[in-house]
Order: sequence, then structure tokens, then C-alpha cells
Amino acid sequence: MIEAIRARVAEKLKELDGVIGLRRSPEGVAPYLFHTEEELAELVLEPRYPMSSVVRLLQKRHPAARFGVVARGCDVRALVEMAKRNQVDPERLYIIGFTCTAEEAEACHCADPAPNVTGWPQAEVIGTPVAAGSPNPMVAEYAQMPRAERWAFWQQQFKKCIKCYGCRNICPVCFCESCALEDPLWVEPGVMAPPFPMYHMIKAMHMSNRCVACRQCELTCPAHIPLTVLYDLIRQDVENLMGYVPGADLEALPPVPLTLADAPIDLDVE
Amino acid sequence: MVASHVLTGKERGAKIIVIDPREIQMSRLADIYLRPWPGTDVAWLNGIMNVIINEGLADTAFVEERTEGFDELRQVVMEYPPEKVEQIAGIPADGLRAAARMYAQTKPAAILYAMGITQHTTGTDNVKTCANLAMLTGNVGVPGSGVNPLRGQNNVQGACDLGGLPNVYPGYQVVTIPDVKAKYEAAWGVEGMSGKLGLTVTEMIEAADKGDVRAIYVMGENPMLSDPDLNHARHCLEALDFLVVQDIFMTETAALADVVLPGASYLEKDGTFTNTDRRIQRVRKAVEAPGQAKADWEIICDLARAMGAPGFEFASPAAVMEEVVVTTPIYGGVSYDRLEAVEGLQWPVPTADHPGTPYLHKGKFSRGVGKFNPVQYQAAAELPDEEYPLILTTGRMMFHFHTGTMTRRTEKLEQEAPEPYVEIHPDDAQRIGLNGGKRVRVSSRRGAIEVAVRVTSTIRPGVVFIPFHYVEGPANALTHAALDPIAGIPEFKVCAVRVEPV
Amino acid sequence: MDYKNVRTTCIYCGCGCTLNVQVADGEVVGILPCPEHPISRGSLCIKGWNAAEFATHPDRLRVPLIRREGGFEEASWEEALALVAERLGAIRDDSGPDSIGFFTSAKCTNEENYLLQKLARAVIKTNNVDHCARL
Ligand code: SF4
Ligand code: SF4
Repeated sequence: MIEAIRARVAEKLKELDGVIGLRRSPEGVAPYLFHTEEELAELVLEPRYPMSSVVRLLQKRHPAARFGVVARGCDVRALVEMAKRNQVDPERLYIIGFTCTAEEAEACHCADPAPNVTGWPQAEVIGTPVAAGSPNPMVAEYAQMPRAERWAFWQQQFKKCIKCYGCRNICPVCFCESCALEDPLWVEPGVMAPPFPMYHMIKAMHMSNRCVACRQCELTCPAHIPLTVLYDLIRQDVENLMGYVPGADLEALPPVPLTLADAPIDLDVE
Repeated sequence: MVASHVLTGKERGAKIIVIDPREIQMSRLADIYLRPWPGTDVAWLNGIMNVIINEGLADTAFVEERTEGFDELRQVVMEYPPEKVEQIAGIPADGLRAAARMYAQTKPAAILYAMGITQHTTGTDNVKTCANLAMLTGNVGVPGSGVNPLRGQNNVQGACDLGGLPNVYPGYQVVTIPDVKAKYEAAWGVEGMSGKLGLTVTEMIEAADKGDVRAIYVMGENPMLSDPDLNHARHCLEALDFLVVQDIFMTETAALADVVLPGASYLEKDGTFTNTDRRIQRVRKAVEAPGQAKADWEIICDLARAMGAPGFEFASPAAVMEEVVVTTPIYGGVSYDRLEAVEGLQWPVPTADHPGTPYLHKGKFSRGVGKFNPVQYQAAAELPDEEYPLILTTGRMMFHFHTGTMTRRTEKLEQEAPEPYVEIHPDDAQRIGLNGGKRVRVSSRRGAIEVAVRVTSTIRPGVVFIPFHYVEGPANALTHAALDPIAGIPEFKVCAVRVEPV
Repeated sequence: MDYKNVRTTCIYCGCGCTLNVQVADGEVVGILPCPEHPISRGSLCIKGWNAAEFATHPDRLRVPLIRREGGFEEASWEEALALVAERLGAIRDDSGPDSIGFFTSAKCTNEENYLLQKLARAVIKTNNVDHCARL
């Protein structure tokens, strides 16, 4: 697989201003902008980094450049959601998608371990899709709990939060310059653990129509809070009630308006 | 991030005991939380050992095989039954018993502490007492056990390892031993080095006042906010004939200097740091320094050249490390090539093929058998009285680092915690008559500051807390410069203050 | 048009978490955690996540400064270092090596700490070397 990807990236480098991927240098693995074929011996696929955020950053810095990106399924879903919110320009991004392995799909409880590039102007996928991973058992366990217990469960979990903002910073679909989590109107600053449930509720509501189930928030949480249990349930609700699956379709508009102009009610906005 | 590993432990079934005058976040997740008076650590630690010995919970095999001095220890701790400890430390006797049982019966058990144990006039005694407790229960030299000091500043460990101390060369080789001095004179190609102990930071500042020290060269420190009894420290530094400060910002200390040299930040230079678990890790240059600023290592080499001194012709920090390893046995096997690995290297790493040492005292103590050093409780140097009825304890908070030179210039951190404050218990607040007032004046025998007030039951009644990061409300204007007689560490954790509404 | 990550160690506490410093065209543009590192394991605290911002603060010192009548004046490196060398030399000759003290730093690198104590011990010949470990 990796050889096939390297060959395709080498090909694409000829026409693009660079390809974003993971590079293993002597220091270790991290995102990198590849320019030459020689560097591609160092292209790798693991561990996970928020590739869509790197794409956004580089596209903003270089408004005319055309980049490529080596992306797994959740990276592509994140790019799709970012594109809908004008944070990534699909016209200037070539996606070289690759399928996750069965082990990876299982470890992530991933429902959709292959990139879905339908509708993306220029893209290809390398590899054969594997079956979905089994669902996260904690979600089912949680769903069994009576309401009062659920509250107590989250109360206990969020007591551990050290307000690192890591779950937000790593999120591949978070991008606002001014974040409600840092607005003293909503969340009292400097309190540790951050006020329950406001801090986490705001985050969850803002994720409701865009969480792409990449699990990076949970992986980066120093307090080991099972954040994706919360987000999986919200995703289920949004899918069941509104028929929306984030990242699945570049054309589908999110059920929650993206701008005030889209709002289905009359707003007296000056 | 150490706490994150503690949480991993808890998820795997480990028990957590928190003993802290302030109800910290970890205490809400703890199995047992006890709240002593600041400055009574020896008393309650002895009390825990009293229970362990009396209830037959000591690891007798370990004590017999690997330690000496048990009888002396027993004698001392027998003077600390839990009821007496309750009188001294304010910890309920039953709580202390429960903690003692849990600690002794759970194997392995680790003791983790930070400055709460060390910043006392009895800091050395406190550390010895922790070591006694670990040895008594056989919690030494096994993974997951031991006495684990958590260091506040990122490279305190490295600064000590590399000889930034008045009594030792790099690798803790004592300056007063003639052979060691001779070894360094040979290595550095000089003669006539000093064989006497040098002065500590606090002693140098004191000596400046008397005129015995006339010049001080400061690299990246800010004693004008971090030292105890600031008014006095300022007076002393002003008495100097010559003060040089090398830093990245115009700190409170740099503002007093005769010459200020612009250094590079960690993002602008190469090097290594050694973290709290003795792990040597790389610092890598990411960008160029602003303006004419230069890396501190370059500045020192340039200065040596200006003084006409040979031995500082280094092309890079890697070359400096090559010289370090020759004379520093604990770093003997370190090289930048080996440090490429993400996990770094944990010293002692004596040779190039040695894998490093994840934990110390495995199978054997450095000195052979472990010696119990029993100590008696001694009260803090300054206790509350009628005039100054509350105990002030100082410390850090999550959002800022040390004197705030860097974090207070970071918007995302400053917006979380923009101003100094004092934490006070509701009972004390009521007694003082704060009546919802937002600001208070806190004074001690050394100075007074005005800060915001936070009324909270997470602090013990009778105790107030102020973080020391803020120049506009410097906690160290109040603190007491009384020192631990051995370590020379000031008693930042206990002094007497008065709080009044303004 | 360059983008890379430079792996380094956090400066804000003794945990020593690994940081991936994102650098684009010679400018720091952000920080990412490092999943491969055994201590930080892909996590950081709020200080680590924000450990780059201060470095580009306008207050950064950019030139050597010498105090003269009426305050600090900018100076060249040659001038500043010559002055330091001369004054330290004079004070040592006058009042002996132990009349000079050195504060090394818990925030500087191992190599820098080594060099400064070497300067104190081998050039000035005093053991008056310490840092704020106790503070
Ligand atoms: S990553 Fe975890 S600890 Fe950090 S803010 Fe999010 S929930 Fe809290
Ligand atoms: S990220 Fe936080 S816990 Fe980690 S070294 Fe930096 S300050 Fe310490």
C-alpha cells in the first residue's frame, strides 16, 4: 500500500505545489509538506494527526497554491465538513485517499474506514475497503443507564478535565478564531475543572453537525475522558432525526444553519 | 501530564491518597483526602509510620535485608500516635490510620510530591521522612514505587546535573574533594580553581548587601519576583557594583542591570533539557532569534573569548555535550545521535552502550543499605499570632509558569488568569468582615500587597493561598526568607499574614 | 512554501512533554502534541499547547543594552561583551574571585548551564554558582 501511495504522490508532485502527508524523520513522525520525490521514502501513514487543519493552514497562507493531501477516511470526512464552511477550498486540493486496515478500523470502532471522495473535484482512493469496526461497547453500556446516572457519569468524568482545550485544538473540524469556550459570558475563566456542564456542553453542541468520528479528541485528552461516547450519541441523534451524516456528502448541507442568512426564521439583524 | 499517568493507574485499580492543605483537583478523585496544616509534614508522616509499625504492616523482610537504623526510627515515630498528630497537624486520627493502612497494604505504592514538601525550613527533614516511609514499606527499587519529587521548572534537574550548584561540579562531584578539583583542572586546562564551597542564590543576594559579592551574572532567572522577601532582595541587588542579566524579556531583575544581553528562546536554539524523571531530551531550533538576540550558549562562549579565556571554542551545543560526557559519569553515554530517539535517555547512562536507568536503587541503594534517618517535628519558622493570625502558603497555578515572564505574554493563558488573588475560607472571610468586598490587603512583617479575593472552601480555614506569578501582587513581598539549614530552600509554604478589606 | 514540524521539549514544567512545533516558511504557526512520546502520549496541558506565542511578543529583547546616565542605551555585541569582560575582570582583580556570583538557569539548556558554571569555575575561579532550584 505505502509503495502505491508513494508512487501516486510522486506522480502528482509534478503538477502540484506540494503534497501534505506524514513524514518519518530521525526525530519522529509529524505532518510535512513534501516537495520532491526523494523525500517520499520518508512518507508514512501513522500515527494520527489532524490533516485537515494543516490543509486549512497552508491554503490560507498560500491563497493561490494547489496542494495534495494523503488522507484516510476520517481525514476526508473532515475536509468535506471544512469545505462546506469555506475553510478548505476543494478546487485547490487533490486528495490521495487510502483505506484503513481492519485492525485500525476495529481500534477506532470506525463505521466507515474507507475515504468517501464522491463529489470532490479531484481525488482518488488507494486500497480495498475493509469492514466497519465493531461499535464502541461503552456507547451501548451508557445507553442502558437511567437518566440520573448518566448525569452523574458525566459529572464524574468532567471533574477530571484540566481545561487544556486539547480536544478543541486537535479537532479537525474546529476553526473559529474566537471560541465560545473562551468567552467569559459562557464559561467563567480560570476555573478548574471548568464549570460543568457548560464547557463540555458548548463543545458538544458545536460538534453536533460536524463531528466526523475521528476520535482524535479522545486520544489527546490527558484526563482520559471518553468524549466520543458523548459525540457518538449526538451523531446518532442527528442522523436519526435529521438524516445528516457529517463528512458523507460534499453537497448535503448541515441541518443547523451555517450563517444567519440561512436561518429559517426572520431575524432582525442590523 | 504526570497526573494523567496517575489517572491511568486509577483506571487500572490503583488507590489515590491526597494529603494537601488545599483541596486540589486530584483530591476530588482520591480515595482518601486529608488536609493538614501547612508545615506539619514531619508530624503526620511520622504518624503514618507509627500506625504502620504498631499494626504490623511494615515490610519486615525488606527492612531487615536492605536497611539499617530501624530501631532509632521506631523510637522516634512511637512519639507520634495519631491522636497527638491530630493536635499538631489537624488531620483526624481515623483518617490518618486509614491512609496508613491503605498505603502500607497496597503494593507497589509511590509517593509523589512537589514544592509542598521541600519549601520549608524543615524541607530536608520532610524529604528524609518520605524516604523513611517508603523504605519501611519496601517501596524502593521496584517499578511504580519510590519517592518521586515532581520538579516545577522544566530544567531544574538538568541545571543541577550540569553543576549549576555551589557545592558540586557536573554530575554531583563535590568541589571540596581535591582529586575531583584536580580532575576538572586537568580537563579544562586551568590551574588554581577554588576548592571552597560557593554561595547559594539566597546567600549571594545577602552577601551583595554586605559588599562581599560585588558583581552578579544572571542567565535567564528572575530573582526579583521568585525570591522571598522581595523588598529586601531589591535593596541587595541595587547594592551591587555590576549586574549582568541575560534574558529574552526585560524582567524585573533585568530592569536593575548594568548590562542586558538578549538571549534566544527555546524555539531558537539547540540543546537538551533533563526532565523530572532524569530523562535527557532534545531541544531543537525551529526558527531564528529576533533582531540580534543570540542563544545563551553562544553568548557565554563569546564572553569567554572577550575575556581571553580558552576552552570555549564550541561550534554547537552538540560539541558542548561531547565535552560534558568526558567528565560527567552519569551522562557518560549521552550523544546527540542517541538522543534522536523520542524517549530520550534516562541517566545514569555511564557508557555508550548502556540503555539508561528508568528507576533508581534497583536491588541495592547507591550507598549499599538504606539508612533510616528519623526526624522530630519542628514547627515552621513563623507561626500565626494575634497580629498576623493566618498562615500564607504560596504556589503555582495551571495557567502560568513561574514569574510569568512568558505565560503572561500569552493571550490564551493570560485570559484564563489575568490577576493575582488570595484564596480564603468562607469562615475566615466572614470573621474578617469581607462582606462581599472584591479586594483585600494582605500584609506580613515584610510587606503588603493588594489582591482580588476568592472565597472558597477548598482551602483550610486559617490558611490563605496566593500564587506567586504576578508582579502587580507579588506573593514574595510577603514571604519569609527563613531557610532550610541544609538545602537552603526558603520557607515559601508557611508565613504569618493578616488580611483586611480595602 | 515550506511546512514542517520541529520536535522539541516543552519549557513549562518538569514533565518534559514533547512538542511538535509547526513551522511554515520560517515562522512558528502552531504546536501539535506527539503521540509517540512515552510521557505526554499525544496530550499536552494548556501551557504546552500555547508554548510558542510569547516568542514573537513585541517585548522581546533584540539588542544588547548598557545602562548609562539616564537609562538603557542600545549597544553592539562587541561593546557590551567588552564591557562585561572588563568589569568582571576588574572586580575579580580588586576583590577576589568570590566577589562575583553566577546564577545559572532552570529554564536554560543543559549545555548552557554547563558553560556558565565552567566560566565561573575555570575562568573567574569561584564556586559561587547556583540557580533557582529552591524557588
Ligand atoms: S482534552 Fe480532556 S482535559 Fe482537555 S479540555 Fe478537553 S475534555 Fe478537558
Ligand atoms: S505540556 Fe504542560 S504538563 Fe507537559 S511539560 Fe508542558 S507544562 Fe508540563
